Amino acid sequence: MNGPKVAILTIAAALLVPVSQVLVAQIASNIEAGQYSVSDGLLPINAFRIAPTLQFAMPHATFKARGSAFVSEQSVQLADGIVTGTFTSPTVYGVRAEMIGNASRAIDDRSLGTDQVDVQTRVHVLFHQHGGVWLGGGVARPWRVAVASSADVTDAGAWAKIGDALAKFGTATMTATFTNFSFTKVASVNDTGSASLSCGASPIAAPTAMRALFSEAAVTGACERQSRFSDLEGSVHWEVGAIELAASSGYRFGDSYDVTPDSKRWTAGTATVWLNDRIAIIGGGGRQPALPLRGVPARSFGMAGLELAYWPLSRSAVPVSLPHAALVKTFEMHPTLAGMQKLIIHVGGVETVDVMGDFSDWSPLTLIRRGRDLWELSVPLSAGTHQINVRVDGGPWMAPPGTPTMHDSYGGDVGLIVVAATDKGAR
Amino acid sequence: MNRLRRTLVCRHALSVSVGACALLLFGVRLARAQDADPFARLDAGSRFAVELMIDSANTLQLPSDLLRSTALQGLAVHADAKRIVRAVRTTFTNLKTARAVLGPVNSEELKAGAAVLYAGVKPTQLVPFRVRQKDRNDLQAFIVWADLITRGVPSEEASSAIIKLWQHGADDATFYGLWNSVQSDIIKGLNPGAALQNRIRETPGAPAATKVTPPEGQQENQSSR
Repeated sequence: MNGPKVAILTIAAALLVPVSQVLVAQIASNIEAGQYSVSDGLLPINAFRIAPTLQFAMPHATFKARGSAFVSEQSVQLADGIVTGTFTSPTVYGVRAEMIGNASRAIDDRSLGTDQVDVQTRVHVLFHQHGGVWLGGGVARPWRVAVASSADVTDAGAWAKIGDALAKFGTATMTATFTNFSFTKVASVNDTGSASLSCGASPIAAPTAMRALFSEAAVTGACERQSRFSDLEGSVHWEVGAIELAASSGYRFGDSYDVTPDSKRWTAGTATVWLNDRIAIIGGGGRQPALPLRGVPARSFGMAGLELAYWPLSRSAVPVSLPHAALVKTFEMHPTLAGMQKLIIHVGGVETVDVMGDFSDWSPLTLIRRGRDLWELSVPLSAGTHQINVRVDGGPWMAPPGTPTMHDSYGGDVGLIVVAATDKGAR
Repeated sequence: MNRLRRTLVCRHALSVSVGACALLLFGVRLARAQDADPFARLDAGSRFAVELMIDSANTLQLPSDLLRSTALQGLAVHADAKRIVRAVRTTFTNLKTARAVLGPVNSEELKAGAAVLYAGVKPTQLVPFRVRQKDRNDLQAFIVWADLITRGVPSEEASSAIIKLWQHGADDATFYGLWNSVQSDIIKGLNPGAALQNRIRETPGAPAATKVTPPEGQQENQSSR
């Protein structure tokens, strides 16, 4: 099967896409730590989990590396690791293409680890940033699980957002997703819990993963079988004040061979309370369905933890507030490296924040979300006066709050920022 | 049969993925090509007019980057070509006027002077800024001036206040402090003109002015934009 090779070549080709000189890559990081409990008996029942994330973001591409480890019984056990690359096309008439590539390893117990490479493409249709639909497809190639082929994954979904950051009841985003999986599985009579599955006259040697999970008797008569199932999942994310609540529930369609009873339905929820822009307390629990492509069984879990988002603000920050600003709460600018300025915008309940100005040849630059309401971007800004505009969720361009403003030549306003020659007196 | 079907489906999915990827790459490359020649989206006549004004600005040693920026902003907000040419021409004219009135100032001051003229200030009102002490810079004064008018302060009141502050030797911090106070009052709902009159009294070295209070029921921001 050439699937993995094509996927890898596709990712490599995408990596060769040159980046415009005006655009600047951004690095972000965060770390999650907390207590994690599961019920499947493979992972430690109670463990301290630490999950650092490093993100390298550019306007149309993002690379993210994330890992997690369990600390228990005076030992550190790697739980999983994933490297993700996402490429996004510019939005044209509300349509945007997206390609996502992942390479990951999941370690489910002390001896068994599974690997997977997958590539997925999606086409999004956006409705004024308050809703949208997408359609996607891709391939995933797992290793060291009881799957003998690449898996075809197709998905479709829709989302809608109601409310905004100024609304009394905050914002709520509802998402519905339908995902179909199709792959060839190495079957065992133990999969159904009965002897009804007949492997016929073409038994094969069971892979290592099956030998680890099943008895020798069960894997002796293994054979290949086409497997197909679909997940329908609905989720709600509600954000009000310093609290975020998320809940999801799903149902898995498929015959009894592909869908075990404990993976038919699932529900999970999390609650996040932000103590400030960079520190949050997270708690949650629920049930996860089995992930056949990863060799992970269905499980119940509970977790409580702390999220530390990114590095702290400069102590020289002097936020300028603008109480009547529509959505953007504050705009700040701080010198970083020579010739660079970090733009910091506080705005809550939005999906995207962009800036543009003479420094970007009036091309929009998307800010990176660093914390709950915190968006940042480092841009090259020479000494002198610069014009700047900001927008949220693809809305109208406006002058950032707290900056001197002037009418532009096209019926709008622009903000003026002055970068001092010493690079220390910007405001 | 199942294997054949699976293989076909898999190949189809791969073809779709690679096709979408190619489209994505093509889109990015197309966008990059447009970055390299941003005026490519202008028609030939408009492009010629814009580039001619940029060349003229270079010849006159005016900051042509402001003209280029004005044209690019127009393209970014999808203004039509005629409007872009008109905007560049207005900016070019304001730069020439600012140079004629202010004399040999640096490009940042010249751009700020052009912005003040665009805000509605008369060229003759820039004359007091032509004579200055050594190392004194009118950049901050011009920025505050343009902002006050944009926020709805009557042009004559704003001009009078800024010119008098300048003539009394106000420094950048004074102008910035005045701006910060006035814009804060306007945001709170005070009439822009009244906000300036009230705050100018508290500004060191400022001419005396009568305190103005907003009439009953006029707490809303009357700024035009």
